[in-house]
Amino acid sequence: MTDTAATGDAPRTKFEFSRLLGLTLVGVLLAMFLFLAWKTSTFATPGNLSNLARQGAIFAILALGQTFVIITAGIDLSVGAVASFITVVVAMLIQSVAPDVTAWLVGAGLPESIANGVALWIMILASLLLGAGIGAFHAFGVVKMGLPPFIITLATFTALRGVGLLMTNGSTVNVTNDVFTGFSRGEFLGIPNLFMVVIVVAVPAFVYLHLSRWGRYLYAVGSNPEAARLSGVNVNAVTATAYILSSVCAAIVGVMLASRTGTGNATQAIGFELEAIAASVIGGTSLFGAIGSVWGPLLGAFILATIRNGANLMNVNSFWQFIITGVLIIAIVYADGLRRRRR
Amino acid sequence: MSAAAEAPSARRDSFAGPILELRGLEKRYVGTHALKPADLAFEAGEIHAIVGENGAGKSTLIKLLTGVTPRTAGEIVWKGVPTDLSTPNEAIALGINAVHQEVVLCPHLTVAANIFLGDERTARGLLKDRAMVREAQRILDDLGFNLPAGAVLSTLTIGQQQLIATARAATRGTQFLIFDEPTAYLTRQEAAQLFALIRRLKAQGVTIVYISHRMEEIFELADRVSVLRDGMLVGTRVVAETTDAELIALMINRSIEQIYHKETFAHGAPVLETRHLSGRGFEDVSLTVREGEIVGLYGLIGAGRSEFVMGVYGRERVTAGEVLWRGQPVTIRRERDAIDLGMALAPESRRDQGLCLNLGVGLNLNLPVFDRLTRGVTISASEERKAADKQIRDLRIKTASRNALALSLSGGNQQKIVIGKWLNHGAKLFIFDEPTVGVDVGTKAEIYRLFGALLAKGAGILLISSYLPEVYELADRLHVFRGGRQVASHGFKAASHEQILTEAIGV
Repeated sequence: MTDTAATGDAPRTKFEFSRLLGLTLVGVLLAMFLFLAWKTSTFATPGNLSNLARQGAIFAILALGQTFVIITAGIDLSVGAVASFITVVVAMLIQSVAPDVTAWLVGAGLPESIANGVALWIMILASLLLGAGIGAFHAFGVVKMGLPPFIITLATFTALRGVGLLMTNGSTVNVTNDVFTGFSRGEFLGIPNLFMVVIVVAVPAFVYLHLSRWGRYLYAVGSNPEAARLSGVNVNAVTATAYILSSVCAAIVGVMLASRTGTGNATQAIGFELEAIAASVIGGTSLFGAIGSVWGPLLGAFILATIRNGANLMNVNSFWQFIITGVLIIAIVYADGLRRRRR
Repeated sequence: MSAAAEAPSARRDSFAGPILELRGLEKRYVGTHALKPADLAFEAGEIHAIVGENGAGKSTLIKLLTGVTPRTAGEIVWKGVPTDLSTPNEAIALGINAVHQEVVLCPHLTVAANIFLGDERTARGLLKDRAMVREAQRILDDLGFNLPAGAVLSTLTIGQQQLIATARAATRGTQFLIFDEPTAYLTRQEAAQLFALIRRLKAQGVTIVYISHRMEEIFELADRVSVLRDGMLVGTRVVAETTDAELIALMINRSIEQIYHKETFAHGAPVLETRHLSGRGFEDVSLTVREGEIVGLYGLIGAGRSEFVMGVYGRERVTAGEVLWRGQPVTIRRERDAIDLGMALAPESRRDQGLCLNLGVGLNLNLPVFDRLTRGVTISASEERKAADKQIRDLRIKTASRNALALSLSGGNQQKIVIGKWLNHGAKLFIFDEPTVGVDVGTKAEIYRLFGALLAKGAGILLISSYLPEVYELADRLHVFRGGRQVASHGFKAASHEQILTEAIGV
């Protein structure tokens, strides 16, 4: 799955398969769209489609970050916890710090609306920076302390919820800033803002993973860290980058969630990490490392979102969506295994 | 256990001839002849040593005798009856067992559990733990090992674990027991205990095959000794009637193969110098590599040669001493520092250290130089293709395309990737660690020709090999390592094979 037309160096067999799998995933998505449009009158409506785009966006970004870590043959169980922790952080920052910053900026001569916007951006960037810090902590645990990725991220998974609950005393922080909460409902050129975030994240991610040498190093580290090291790759730095990117993606999702729900709450996003891993795996990422792409997890996330959306529209017992997801994971990974054995 | 108790009677054999006989036994792999047709008879109750250099075919012979790999041709005759011996279970059923250099037991289980693994004592489906510990303790006491049967295996030293592995093999009705360099990690006292056990087994009628590099052990223990060289059985001697000089002479390939054609170049300025360099696994190593010069490091496996070059290359920490690069003292903290100076390393194990097997040939070839292929933020796709294709062409790597996975290539072609990824990038020092292990003769010759091309460009080469003819014929200067120390240094062909091997083994 390393390949696209732009990366000339990925294996040919993989190239053909990844195209095939990519097309299959696109086909699955299209088939679901056509089926739902045919079966329901509610699916192919602008309102529902943009709703679907918003739902899918959340998981797409989580799965994308997760994919970087999985390519290094690691795993990041903390992404759901990081996202929910960041909803708390960004909500508290916007409620308690942003007004002061806005007032100061207005005092410095800026118009009220611009001051508010600048203050919001500062709060968001601070939250993302905190996300990067959490990722750096994971990297420290994996690279310096030699902890298994499963363990260090499992620790954060439980601990961060505790921190979030302590900060809020178990309650919910309501965000009263309309500009912030309005973002998730807004559109740009007819495309929901939350979906635009996916594009804004995916383009640099594509450049990083498929076009830059750092992407090549990521695959090499996932395939054989010792060979990569002896070839001059800074294995520790490459590994650390993956964990930091994953946590930053989770932090972005935290900000998106806070905007969408208008709340900061440490009990949100429970189980999102497994959803993200599932989306990544459906998108062709190998849990053994060294195989994965940018668009795979994106497609995987929107397939999962469509299943959920369609199940709701068709009044299928919502529990079925869990079962369908499970069946899909087995089918895709089994097909992937078949391909490997045949080679 | 029961087999041990009744062993003497059970192993007394009515059959009078050799217990195991090889008739024209032969093993070929694609491109290599690992064991040329061999005839050898093992007498019941003898200790038969097998010696030979690395790659001489000893491990192939063990694999054939234990049913791990199928033979290409020939017969294996067990007590007068030709036998298939095509699976490990068949070998175990006959009573053929092996004790390997590395312990293959379960480190988290107790000594007793390991001894009875796969043959547990049970009552109504439940394990009789205490009975097994008691019985194991009796076996250990019987063998004279002062070891606790209830202890977890990993709390024992490697040497003690080796003794447990031997005890395990000895208690299963074994009639034919193969030891593969069993004393490599043992202390003197542990080795003495092992020898006592081996003699006891011999007294019980067990046939022992003992593979070792250490001459003194062979003279202490063995009745007869067979010598392998380049996959050929070159002779069998009665130990009492031979000398170590004769054995060493047999082990060495006297016929100089045509594949070594050494080109000599004028030696230029020193590229690399080490002064009293020490680190983990090596001590006080001082040597110089000049432009146009091949410096060989010879020694047995584990003599500290790889550890030394890993220290120079920044992979392992250096604790004392100095490294000079083109006359200037340098500090190399990590691999990148070494590469940026102009060093290139083709490591010992291409699977573990050399290749990203499930990635493309092109990615593997370009891995050290992606920084040079980068334009701004992204890699130039055309330059990436060009660089990979050039290496594939220059080295004649046989691959479907630059996108084929490295694991789809043959061993020799994989080795060409490990070496090839460093060429054409202006490195001044090439470190080759066992560059020709497991490659066929044709590729070997190509690799040696490549050495000449590198020297002609003014590079220096540090060549590690456990195969004496290789370093002997190619190296302008040869350093002999033993036990992490540089024990001798010779000019081009300034010492005899016998002398060098003697220095490496430490007779």
